[in-house]
Amino acid sequence: METTSLSKSSVSCGLSLALTCVINAIIVVAKEKSDAVMNGMKKITGHHWITHALLVLGLFVAFALIFGAMNRGKGSAISAGRLLGTVVSGIVLSALIIVGFYLFAD
Amino acid sequence: MNAILLMSHVLFGVACIVAAVWLFVEVLHASEANLARIRRISWSAAAAMWLAFIIGGYWYVTSYKADKAIILSGPWPFAHALVMETKEHLVIMLLLLATYLPIVASDNLAANRDARRLMLWVTGITALLALAMDGEGGLIAMGVKLGLLPR
Repeated sequence: METTSLSKSSVSCGLSLALTCVINAIIVVAKEKSDAVMNGMKKITGHHWITHALLVLGLFVAFALIFGAMNRGKGSAISAGRLLGTVVSGIVLSALIIVGFYLFAD
Repeated sequence: MNAILLMSHVLFGVACIVAAVWLFVEVLHASEANLARIRRISWSAAAAMWLAFIIGGYWYVTSYKADKAIILSGPWPFAHALVMETKEHLVIMLLLLATYLPIVASDNLAANRDARRLMLWVTGITALLALAMDGEGGLIAMGVKLGLLPR
């Protein structure tokens, strides 16, 4: 029999994926526009890109846990259609920010 | 050593593309019969992407500086200023996408229409983004090659 409800991990990790991708793009703009941010990121691990990657991966895990803990541990109650829209929009938006920034603003 | 690292990076990146395309086709025909295979392929795609990311990241941090100087002094400076700069940040998104594949695949794709739809979108975007990263890698290599040619 066909079912439609997504598992808690698919929903929480999907929401986290969308949010983390957008934050990834924001970090790109912040570090390229601010020497203080760039130098701070270099100081933490020795290379800005390592800090960037570790920060994004850490945020992905943290947000997935937070979204999973919502509704008293049942996870976010978003519908499958809205989750899909959020995931795709988050990825497209962050890709556009990154490419657009290096194409026009940097 | 550098050449082996770079070729391994490309090898695992291409393995991720192949796995993602294979996964897309399997999910289109998802049933109880291929559910276990779908999960194995999704884990393989994620593992290939992690290996490509770690190897490429190590090379980028330890060895890219010399190539960057060659590219910037050559006729294709955009191979660094646009292509490498976007690649090094878009690839983090690709890593998250590939990591998400086995998570969605743990749902029952044979019986769950929404999980199947989500899996198809995520797999399709993973394959396209991985292909774009492969193309960007080619442009960066060409930027180095053109920078080394006598002018």
